[in-house]
Amino acid sequence: MTDLLMMGSAMAIAMEMMVDDPLDLDLSDYSTTTTTTNTIDQDDRGCKWNEWSPVVDWTALTGGHDDFHDLIESMMDEDDNDDGGDILSNSYSTQTSTGTAVSGDVDVAAGEVSDDSNKGVRLVHLLMAAAEAVGGENKSRDLARVILVRLKELVSPTKGTNIERLAAHFSEALHSLLECAAAGGPHSKHHHHHFFNGDNNHHHHHQNDVVAAFQFLQDMSPYVKFGHFTANQAILEAAAHDRRIHIVDYDIMEGIQWASLMQALVSRKDGPPSPHLRITALSRGASSSSSSAAARRSIGTVQETSRRLAAFAASIGLPFSFHQCRLDSDESFRPSAVKLVKGEALIVNCMLNLPHFSYRSQESVESFLSGAKTLKPRLITLVEEEAPPPPPTPTDGGQFVARFMDLLYQYSAVYDSLEAGFPMQGRGRALVERVFLGPRIVGSLGRIYRARRDERGSWGEWLAVAGCSAVPVSFANICQAKLLMGLFNDGYRVEELASNRLVLGWKSRRLLSASLWTSSFSDSDHL
Amino acid sequence: MFQHKKPSTMNSHDRPMCVQGDSGLVLTTDPKPRLRWTVELHERFVDAVTQLGGPDKATPKTIMRVMGVKGLTLYHLKSHLQKFRLGKQPHKEFNDHSIKDGMRASALELQRNTASSSGMISRSMNDSNSHMVDAIRMQMEVQRRLHEQLEVQKHLQLRIEAQGKYMQSILEKACQTLAGENNMASSAGSYKGSIVNHHGVNPHDMGPLKDFTSPLGFLSFQDLNIYGGDQLDLQSNIDRPSLDHGFLPNNGDNLCLGKKRTSPYTGSTTGKSPLIWSDDLRLQDLGTAASCLGPPDHDPFKGDQIQMALPSIERGSEIDSLSDIYETKPVISGDPMGEKKYDAGGAKLERPSPRRVPLAGERMSPMIQGRNSPFG
Repeated sequence: MTDLLMMGSAMAIAMEMMVDDPLDLDLSDYSTTTTTTNTIDQDDRGCKWNEWSPVVDWTALTGGHDDFHDLIESMMDEDDNDDGGDILSNSYSTQTSTGTAVSGDVDVAAGEVSDDSNKGVRLVHLLMAAAEAVGGENKSRDLARVILVRLKELVSPTKGTNIERLAAHFSEALHSLLECAAAGGPHSKHHHHHFFNGDNNHHHHHQNDVVAAFQFLQDMSPYVKFGHFTANQAILEAAAHDRRIHIVDYDIMEGIQWASLMQALVSRKDGPPSPHLRITALSRGASSSSSSAAARRSIGTVQETSRRLAAFAASIGLPFSFHQCRLDSDESFRPSAVKLVKGEALIVNCMLNLPHFSYRSQESVESFLSGAKTLKPRLITLVEEEAPPPPPTPTDGGQFVARFMDLLYQYSAVYDSLEAGFPMQGRGRALVERVFLGPRIVGSLGRIYRARRDERGSWGEWLAVAGCSAVPVSFANICQAKLLMGLFNDGYRVEELASNRLVLGWKSRRLLSASLWTSSFSDSDHL
Repeated sequence: MFQHKKPSTMNSHDRPMCVQGDSGLVLTTDPKPRLRWTVELHERFVDAVTQLGGPDKATPKTIMRVMGVKGLTLYHLKSHLQKFRLGKQPHKEFNDHSIKDGMRASALELQRNTASSSGMISRSMNDSNSHMVDAIRMQMEVQRRLHEQLEVQKHLQLRIEAQGKYMQSILEKACQTLAGENNMASSAGSYKGSIVNHHGVNPHDMGPLKDFTSPLGFLSFQDLNIYGGDQLDLQSNIDRPSLDHGFLPNNGDNLCLGKKRTSPYTGSTTGKSPLIWSDDLRLQDLGTAASCLGPPDHDPFKGDQIQMALPSIERGSEIDSLSDIYETKPVISGDPMGEKKYDAGGAKLERPSPRRVPLAGERMSPMIQGRNSPFG
């Protein structure tokens, strides 16, 4: 897996890897696929997992390491009677309430006992123990290593139940942390770049993998559309009567957000039809931390997006122009670099943390938002991860474990949501997990490890503190979000957490928040 | 262009409305003029219906007499009255139906609002005139919201389509890049051959993308196609003659929709058509009896084929109108996908649950047949 992640996009290498990598063999060979599909098709998520998950022979696994035998066995033997319904949340609540990683009793819901859930709970406990050993109160590198070795034997990022695959990614991430810490402390530049900078994740994969995974993500889950459509609807409403609309987009990616806005603009019937749309996309220039090749790639991507958007706009008859605004070397944003035209409705669009997005540093986002605010935009659309406040723990170590578990919980919700939506699309999910989610887990965990303490709340709170005022979400927008959820599986829900904020969640877990803001004095711009 | 395709009632700037005389009637300039039911006009209509003893006693003729609005024809009143009656029907069948189908929470919520309000309205209307003002206001509000929901729904599907088309251009680019990388441009035959081979022994880098075209194609085209179908449906029921001609659904359409809604997903593991809401919402909003919906246990493939006919036509014309660029180019991605699709279809026998795969194949096929391979 690591090999694959680190793999360059060169065709020849990619092809070799395909042959070598069991996942991709699986992908390309129907006879292999059949078994996989067969299992998934049962609609009994996980009940058949025994047939194709790694063999679980607990005594054999622990046999070779007498020193840790007792410890690991004790982890493995507890909670034999667990029901697997909500493994993570049970374990998580246990963990947070008791504050210790390994010893908590998990509340048991009455139900049938399955090996599946037992294994899930054990995996979670092993992960907790590993996290504790890596970054908790009582660090022990040796212990961490042993646990991680066990975990690696138990799970694979491409096989097994959700929790098994997740456990594989998380133990991978912990392993990276451990290696990096050994290699020169958590702040060494090398590992920062290599392991924790989710920014690079796209470049380890072939472009086609990324495109296919992106399409899958779009089709399987409402995350991307929710963010885009909610923002777009707000933009349409804010600029309903304008002839010129200017959007400053923090992270335009492939530009897919704007296709639907364009369509809506040409067909709007309230305001002047087919207004002129201008998009200023930020591109990442050469910076100290990223190579010039990365900068060229960023600019190249933006240019390609520009062409694609222009073609699309032309195809539906929308007047359109596109600008690029290069960020400074340290990813900081200079508002003066944005060309403004009098009389246009200025919108600032800031999509963060969508599952397929690269990670952007806090400094970069802050620089953009504070700079954008000085432009006095009529509307700021913000989409970000909805993370619960970090649990109040007195120590850094305790906090690391708590946040580790929270991250695990969060990603398990994402995994579950993807699986529940399209249980048959196992291969598509595998791709999404490999291309987007896996690298994100590694990146997020690295940041948690390094950050130690949470410095800030959400960006929405930041905007409020910075003096932006809330723009209410319209009835139509809420309605749209709910209808959108209806396109996907039960389990997704939309909450109106504030007048200006919609939150997309999976079951009890809130995942993505869209909020609308305006710069306080923007009213004068309308005139 | 989009605008020209759009139904006239939804696009007032497209076809000029003309206000007729002092009666304030707003009609289109079509040969068969459609009437816009303004708030004021509807209020008068409701007044008249109430005077005549409720929607069940009132007839178009008597309403026309009581309203006394010049230019208003029996034709207009007939459809509006039908719509009015349907809108006031108790929603019992609906609830049963929706529960049975596990309808979305959002839809349920919307429905509950609707049901309770209209129930209240009919009660207060039948009881006495004292609550009339409230009832009318509420009715207006309900109608406004329903209308807004329908608008949102229609817009949402157009937006999803637009995104889908844009996504196509990305996919297409990826395929082009791939073709370049593979040096396959020199020989279309080898390109195709490689695709077929791919499922044999030699996986190459096309693997992921190609492999995923199967589910991708299924999902994205399902969206487009079904949306296309819904759009037809919306046009016939809401946009075009709709709001004016009454919320009277075309029975044929409904039968088809009924089948559609049950077809690909009946008994499937998810049990959720991602698109169910569309029909549900419409039906529930319009108060159509659930009996219009197709039998729950029919052959899924049959239903799908019925459904297929509409969307493919719709989609085809839409491509023509929407885009010049996107009209020709999707072939590039469409064709390999198509081949892939057939491969997937061929593989269906191996699959324990073949239902979805052949569906995807069938959905794809009309599109593919209509196009030339850029490689061939």
